[in-house]
Amino acid sequence: MRHERTELPRLQRWMQEVVVYPGAVEEAIASPRAAREIAAARLEEVVTPSHSMTSSERLGVYHGMYLLRMQEALEADYPVIRYHLGDHRFALLVRDYVQRYPSTSYTLNRLGDHLPRFFLDEPDRPHAAFLHDLARLELAMTEVFDEEETPALGVDAVQAVDPAAWETARLRPIRALRLLALEHAVIPHLSAFHDDRPAPEPRRVPCWIALYRRDYSVLRLELGRSEHDLLSWLVSGTPLGEALAAAAGATRGPRQQARIFRWFRTWISEGLFSAIEV
Amino acid sequence: MTHNRWGFPDLGLGLGLRTTHYAHILSQNPDIGFFEILTENYLDTGGRPAYVLDQIAERYPTVMHGVSMSIGSTDPIDLAYLAKVKRLAERTGALWVSDHICWTGVLGRNTHDLLPLPYTEESLAHAVGRIKIVQELLERPLVLENPSTYLEFADNEMTEWEFVERLSEEADCGLLFDVNNVYVSAYNHGYDPVTYIDAIPADRVCQYHLAGHTNKGTHIIDTHSDHVVGPVWELFGHTIRTVGLRATLLEWDADIPPFEVVHREVLKADAWRLREVADAA
Repeated sequence: MRHERTELPRLQRWMQEVVVYPGAVEEAIASPRAAREIAAARLEEVVTPSHSMTSSERLGVYHGMYLLRMQEALEADYPVIRYHLGDHRFALLVRDYVQRYPSTSYTLNRLGDHLPRFFLDEPDRPHAAFLHDLARLELAMTEVFDEEETPALGVDAVQAVDPAAWETARLRPIRALRLLALEHAVIPHLSAFHDDRPAPEPRRVPCWIALYRRDYSVLRLELGRSEHDLLSWLVSGTPLGEALAAAAGATRGPRQQARIFRWFRTWISEGLFSAIEV
Repeated sequence: MTHNRWGFPDLGLGLGLRTTHYAHILSQNPDIGFFEILTENYLDTGGRPAYVLDQIAERYPTVMHGVSMSIGSTDPIDLAYLAKVKRLAERTGALWVSDHICWTGVLGRNTHDLLPLPYTEESLAHAVGRIKIVQELLERPLVLENPSTYLEFADNEMTEWEFVERLSEEADCGLLFDVNNVYVSAYNHGYDPVTYIDAIPADRVCQYHLAGHTNKGTHIIDTHSDHVVGPVWELFGHTIRTVGLRATLLEWDADIPPFEVVHREVLKADAWRLREVADAA
């Protein structure tokens, strides 16, 4: 008896449901979402068996490659989280993550964009708050790597500014700059990964980091809280005088001025700004 | 010797541009006919990949090869994506833009796999309509690659080679003929790859792909992770005898060895090409 032909939209919805299902392929074919499109009993009316494989085994080739591909993509963007969790727990994380945040982009480079959010969504996951911070760090590193190149401000341009104009001047940051205020000490985990040492236990210690790119390499500055706050104000477009007044606060004085001068010198030499708007 | 109808040049032997080879290529300027770039890797980056790409595009002919056009999908065409593809092609001076005869997702999702189409009148008409739209938007012919497939649909109304031939004729698009994919699919589905090759419209073929694969016994997976096997070289020889010489590219995407190894592998194609030239003379 001639079977009922499956129209293309339904066939594609069904196959996608099977391919992305997180369990075994047989469970995928029988899952409610797949069965809503095509009943499991009709499988051989849709996919023919080959001389060496059943219909479900042939579908299983696509199904089996899906999570491996997602894992490979997330591992490329989150190597420190993978290192911290180990292969098995990372694979489970990827399985859960892509169920909630599947790729909707033409590029796998965007797959991991929601991972920090994912850890916030799941506060009961072991070390969720720490993993949230670590994910923010690694996501920021990816963003800095891919950002548009903007030329850095030179010392000459800084020296050319009329001293009277500094009060209202605004500093425009390079595009490849991200500032992070984190609640956990993540740098030791980054170092452990790079040195191939055992990852330390997560510790709740605040840290402030500037990630930026110079000569196409992603670099970082570990900041103090005051330095981070001042840099944040400047990056958000606050005029220099206003930002300095807020940063100095109650501790205005020569020592504070010297510290701020030192910070500025570092920021300029590291190329964190691209222009001064006077 | 039949040429393709758009006059796309035979660029000789090329390689896929891979991150691990950036430093070698920039410092050594290897003697290679062209580089193929993975379109999606360069659409949104302004960092080192873009910097390297600009230099490569200055030194070598480049072509673009995408994996996310999803030409057979029943989702709407992604116009923003196509606009970026067009801009990248203009920026690099890519000689042609290719993707695959497949679909990658529906309902707004992307599985990032090259999923098979049923070879039916319905999917043929659907894909042809979309290719025509894409070609208008890109303002250039689209070049599409025959995929490796691991299953066949019971609803198929024609063979893959009939589908590919009609698709290219009815949409007036080019073909990127992947010889390894024909070998893989022929093994998986039990047909004669030579029948497939003999049915391909030669004047629509703009480029060849060669690659290694992984034989699992019951089936072969197109892993691009190894040397090209002997039977695929034999099929390549048959292809250039039947279709003619075209820009020929080796893909190596997993367990990528040093540049010299990949380069030596693609140079093996020269022997087959020279034999064809000698026979033609």
